[in-house]
Amino acid sequence: MKNIKIRDISSPVEQLAEIKLEELYPLPPPYDKIEEQPGFKNLSPEIRAKYEASLDGVMAVGLKKPESEEEEKKLIDAFISGLNKLFTKENNWTFLQPLTLSMEYCARCQTCNMDCPIYVGSGMKEIYRPTYRSEVLRRLYFKYVKKGSKIYKSFQNGGIELNWELIARLFELSYRCTLCRRCAQSCPIGVDNGLITHELRKMFSMEMGLSPKELHEKGTVQQLEVGSSTGMNALVVKDNMEFIDEDISERTGIKVESKWDVEGAEILLIHNSGEILTWPENPGAFALILDAAGIKWTLSSDLVGYDGVNYGLFYDDVQLARVAMKHLEIAKKLKVKKIVMGECGHESKAMGVIADRIFEGAVPRETAMTLMNDIVFSGKIKLNPERNWFPVTLHDPCNLTRSMGVIEPQRKVLRYIAPKFREMEPHGVRNYCCGGGSGFAVMSAYNFSDWRIQVASRMKFEQVLNAFADESPGPETPKYVCAPCSNCKGAFRDMFDFYGAKTKSGLYYAGLVELIVNAMVDVNEGFIDFDMM
Amino acid sequence: MFWLFIFTYLSVLIFLAVVIYKFIKIATAPVHLRWELYPVPHEKGKASYGGSILEEVDWWTKKREKDHLGELKVMVPEILLLKGVWEHNKELWLGSFPFHFALYLFIGNIALLVIGTLLEITGISPFVFKANSFWNSFWIIFRTVIDVLIWVGSILGILGSFRLLFTRIVNRNLSLYSTPSHYFNIIFIGAIYATALIWRLNDSDMVRNLMVYYFVIITFSKEIAVDLPLQIPAIGFVHIIISLLFIIYLPFTHMTHFFAKYFTYHSVRWEDTPNAPGSKIAERVGAQLNQTVTWAAPHIGADGNKNWIAIASAAPSKEAKR
Ligand code: SF4
Ligand code: SF4
Repeated sequence: MKNIKIRDISSPVEQLAEIKLEELYPLPPPYDKIEEQPGFKNLSPEIRAKYEASLDGVMAVGLKKPESEEEEKKLIDAFISGLNKLFTKENNWTFLQPLTLSMEYCARCQTCNMDCPIYVGSGMKEIYRPTYRSEVLRRLYFKYVKKGSKIYKSFQNGGIELNWELIARLFELSYRCTLCRRCAQSCPIGVDNGLITHELRKMFSMEMGLSPKELHEKGTVQQLEVGSSTGMNALVVKDNMEFIDEDISERTGIKVESKWDVEGAEILLIHNSGEILTWPENPGAFALILDAAGIKWTLSSDLVGYDGVNYGLFYDDVQLARVAMKHLEIAKKLKVKKIVMGECGHESKAMGVIADRIFEGAVPRETAMTLMNDIVFSGKIKLNPERNWFPVTLHDPCNLTRSMGVIEPQRKVLRYIAPKFREMEPHGVRNYCCGGGSGFAVMSAYNFSDWRIQVASRMKFEQVLNAFADESPGPETPKYVCAPCSNCKGAFRDMFDFYGAKTKSGLYYAGLVELIVNAMVDVNEGFIDFDMM
Repeated sequence: MFWLFIFTYLSVLIFLAVVIYKFIKIATAPVHLRWELYPVPHEKGKASYGGSILEEVDWWTKKREKDHLGELKVMVPEILLLKGVWEHNKELWLGSFPFHFALYLFIGNIALLVIGTLLEITGISPFVFKANSFWNSFWIIFRTVIDVLIWVGSILGILGSFRLLFTRIVNRNLSLYSTPSHYFNIIFIGAIYATALIWRLNDSDMVRNLMVYYFVIITFSKEIAVDLPLQIPAIGFVHIIISLLFIIYLPFTHMTHFFAKYFTYHSVRWEDTPNAPGSKIAERVGAQLNQTVTWAAPHIGADGNKNWIAIASAAPSKEAKR
């Protein structure tokens, strides 16, 4: 459909918008040739017959089409019921005030638009405009929740028709925003389109039981039942860590041994357990650094205690609270002085600030960035920055920076230990999301990863390339993107694989602690081995 | 034209009642989860780059110092100059800035007219001083300032209204998201500016007339009220009535962002108070956790009786197949 308008979200057309490669934001060479880009996988007619893909031909969540009129009506009723509950203090005290403010005071000035990496990356597709989904929800709010004369409400806020098409598309659309909140920074009124997306997702999950499998069944539910969203139980995780200890000890020449369930430890370290499975150097490097700094630390083998992931943050307040309360319970049981969140942005935000007001009598929490900064400049470990001889840039995870204000510690460390460190533009609190935020990094069903890599990660990929523009462009110079966040690393992995960026441009990604260990004088040289990455 | 004065009181009363009601409603909303957005300007020494106290190791042992001047440094240019719009949407700023700034000038005039009346009440009447006396010069300057604000405000306001209307119609980004009220509001406010300018063009005594009007309103002077209409030209009436209608209409629109903005900034964007045991926040959150949850998704496990804390402490209920 051309010239899409807000009301078109309820249109009976088969597909509302179409994404074309040639319309996306252009990438610099050698990634500028459209014919060389993999493009988007088309969904089969069978899938399209069964599931809703009428928004943009992309499916993130795979919502089944209703089979009868009654079923459709039931879903519409559930939607209206959820919409109303979203604005009650009993059900949504957690975000009622910010949500109502964002609903009622938007000036529709569109000042926020160009700050959205998805909107810009998509070549300014109407449906991805930060205000598009917000405006749909706003019109529904005024129509179904706010009291008052129908004519006056429609005069003030515009009208909208609620039908199944709208619900299906709005649900998918709530997974076309990474909740990065960059748009909220530029809103002169203080309206937050990221928050509106967050609340939409919550309503679908908490009232209608609709959410992506990766975040719910395989995410928080699995984590609360088995112990981790990776599916690892305590035995498996201990086994894996033992293997990591051995490997790191061998590679570094320093004996590393993970500590488990140490009562009264100074620090309870909670990793995103994806690190343990996918990037084992990261938890290994943590263990080595903490030991070398003489800190009494521990991991927990309790259910949920060895996985800092909390996908509830992205779609469901109750699931958020359930996971967060487990973390707190374990820290209290172990009587640790503080919890340190590993290199994971959303874990840091969930535990550090969002769940702060759910906890009663909480254990203090801080991010790994802060702790590492403290250790590096304490003089407890000897460092030779020359060992990090390659160019390095820093990716700022949105959750750490925009939502927590943790900006400088990681930079101070990099400025010291990486002589060829350079910033991306924009950076710090104005960074672009990696495109994997809000759970996207673990969502790859159907053709969603094609969309997320080529649209949501587009601006990030461009700025990474630009950050190394002064280096030789080919693979002969390895270029290190320091991404101190597990989900962001997942996004970089997929992005670099998709474009073949390792072979074409020598792009690599890993965390902050790996760079610290690589620079440690007591460690065997070459801990960071680009051939193995 | 006694009714004009009654209408004035009524408009101001409606305005105040609705604004105060809305203000209280927002202010008494439940404490929400933290959702601050950096940069937070009261973070001493860190606001310039968007940092926070969470950058400090063992931050909970450190003294939290709030830099209130830092907040002002952000708020003042934001409100007066629409800095955010300037930085992110220059095309809109060209209309929005004069449109809003003119409004500030008119509000400034209201304040001056009220001050003038208060001075009159204390006996410093603008009409009784000898030439060359201090108070005579004071009133000349006072009236000139009001006059200048009328000229500048109405001209800026008319230009801003035209520009804003033009942008809203021509720029597709804006027209797609504009409802009938957006055009109506600009025309409405534009009419206030236009009638002010026409009044001034036709009435060299406009400031004096305005001063008498304010005097009557504030002092409830029935006698003067009866005489005054004879001195105010028809366009003056139109201006006053349009302005009063706008005052009644304003609180029922999204334009109440003029005070809601206080909350979006201070209660959300910059609200970073940690939940310390025994604090007010802890107390309020504790009460909120006792509320009954009615979300219907099966995994929530709400039964109409369980409160928030019971639900959050329980494992997710086994779900029915979707
Ligand atoms: S969210 Fe803010 S910037 Fe965006 S249209 Fe609304 S008021 Fe304007
Ligand atoms: S939160 Fe981020 S992704 Fe979502 S609309 Fe705003 S800028 Fe775009």
